[in-house]
Amino acid sequence: MYNKSFRGVLIKGNKTYGQITSEILAPQERKAPLWWFVSMGISTLGMLIGIYAIFITISQGIGTWGVNNSIGWGWGIINFVWWIGIGHAGTAFSIFLLILRQKWRTSINRAAEAMTVVAVICAGMFPMLHMGRIWMAFFIFPYPNSRGPLWVNFNSPLFWDVVAISTYFMASATFWYLGMIPDLATVRDRAKSKIKKAIYGLLSFGWVGSARSWLRFETAAIIMGGLTAPLVIAVHSIVSMDFATSVMAGWHTTVFPPYFVIGAIFSGFAMVLTLMIIIRKVFKFQDYVTEGHIDAIGRILTFISLIMGTAYSTEIFIAWYSGMEGELYTFFHNRIAGDHTKAFWTMVSCNAIIPQLFWFKKIRHSMTMVFIISIIINIGMWFERYVIVITSLTKDYLPSNWASYTPTWVEIGIFVGTLSIFVIGVLLFIRYIPMMAMSELKMILKGTSIITNSNKSKDHE
Amino acid sequence: MNKSKIFGVFDQEEKLVSSIRSIKAKGISISDVVSPYPVHEVFEELNLKTRIPVAAFLYGIFGLLTTFGFLYWTSVVNYPLVFGGKPQNTLSFVIIIFVMVINVTVAFTLITFFLIEKKGPGAKPSVEYPGISDNRYLIVIDITPETDVKALNKLLMDTGAVEITEQ
Repeated sequence: MYNKSFRGVLIKGNKTYGQITSEILAPQERKAPLWWFVSMGISTLGMLIGIYAIFITISQGIGTWGVNNSIGWGWGIINFVWWIGIGHAGTAFSIFLLILRQKWRTSINRAAEAMTVVAVICAGMFPMLHMGRIWMAFFIFPYPNSRGPLWVNFNSPLFWDVVAISTYFMASATFWYLGMIPDLATVRDRAKSKIKKAIYGLLSFGWVGSARSWLRFETAAIIMGGLTAPLVIAVHSIVSMDFATSVMAGWHTTVFPPYFVIGAIFSGFAMVLTLMIIIRKVFKFQDYVTEGHIDAIGRILTFISLIMGTAYSTEIFIAWYSGMEGELYTFFHNRIAGDHTKAFWTMVSCNAIIPQLFWFKKIRHSMTMVFIISIIINIGMWFERYVIVITSLTKDYLPSNWASYTPTWVEIGIFVGTLSIFVIGVLLFIRYIPMMAMSELKMILKGTSIITNSNKSKDHE
Repeated sequence: MNKSKIFGVFDQEEKLVSSIRSIKAKGISISDVVSPYPVHEVFEELNLKTRIPVAAFLYGIFGLLTTFGFLYWTSVVNYPLVFGGKPQNTLSFVIIIFVMVINVTVAFTLITFFLIEKKGPGAKPSVEYPGISDNRYLIVIDITPETDVKALNKLLMDTGAVEITEQ
């Protein structure tokens, strides 16, 4: 039971159900503002740069990237892991909080899930491009073939990745869409133009909201949610095993699966925070995403940041405790000190030190500070992947293999392209889809947000 | 044209639930209740149940058996590749099986939901009334030759309906 007098209301302003519908849908029912078109224009330009860089990669080959025989995994894999991490936010947010029956998720889950779907699409592009011959990408799926038949290696984490990420994409996209159907029906019912009515009529699958449908809908959603929650853990553990099952110094460690999962949730939550602060400010949704919501995410980030710090320290401790020269060299002469010091310390400060500012209530309640820290975390998480991928590969066990790595404009272009695709996805989302789960907000409204006179007198007793 | 359904329209959840109780007490059967969000008391009053969890469990077992069967067939029967003398029927199958159980269960549960609900792209809403996806609740009652429409209308009005229509 949610205690309003102790925790405060979840949705401010004693809203009525009608108000929730009209306020959440207001941005879509208005004409798109100028900034939307400007952002769309800039992102389309960025996406075109990305498409050109992808064209160069496919037509000329991986030689156009900065990778070499020693550093086989450059920006392609760094960005893949970074995007997949961000892609964990939706599910982590929505599903973990759903099965934990956290009612404050309702204002944020829709945006977080949308973000997941776009981020996973961005992530998926990198390993495909990294194959070089993208037209042979179907080789990664096990199907009867004329090569023996030679099956894929079912013992390889790289294949597990294919299975896990495609499943994750399918599960999170369908979970997102299923949750959206009742709200799309609301848009359909309110639509004035025939075209809009027809489009949303098609998208809402004939939803009515009869009691039987609601019961099945809730049951299906909780089953899908319950099943997808362990998948979140599985996906990033498997991504970490791409590294951990190799014998590279700095990668070959048992802390990797939990370290990656936590890191992914960390960056995902930070991205949710960035997005929600923008959405609440631009669309004046302060009543729905209150300071309480931001405060709650801030607290979670403080805790996760402590785990990140512990993971970094554990890695360093084990490198020293193992007494293994390769590990010692990687950590003490190539990360903490050495060629990649800047990247290492950026990672530590952004992920383990700066987020500790969230201990202060004043910081958690200052939207500017929270926004800045959320961006810092995302930068820090990018550097974490950089440190892992690059430092270990530049100096492996054989000094004759040592090499340096700088990305070419093609790699940077692809990254810019994916960032732009992400922004385009978010812009389309805020324009055409109800940004918050209206039916879920309505469901929790009475128990968490309505202050009546009898409530007030009870609170004073 | 003969009307076949009575819609009792409500604007408050509490009134909806108490009206359902009164209608049930009179022995009238309610064919449907429509609301903009799930109302759990309605599920209880109408004694609604779903077997989706049972179906999902069976899909899970199906996913487990097919994935294991496929992995065993490819790696042990069809092309038993020798790698370092390790057994072909390996523990690493567990990871793929774990993920595929989730995959199959999620996909099939969703398909089942849409099939039993008869919903999909292009499906038409079975009930149309302004505000039912916004802030209105409907009690739908089928009119049979035995239905005393006047008495039913009175009962709905007395229990707080803001409007009554027939369709």
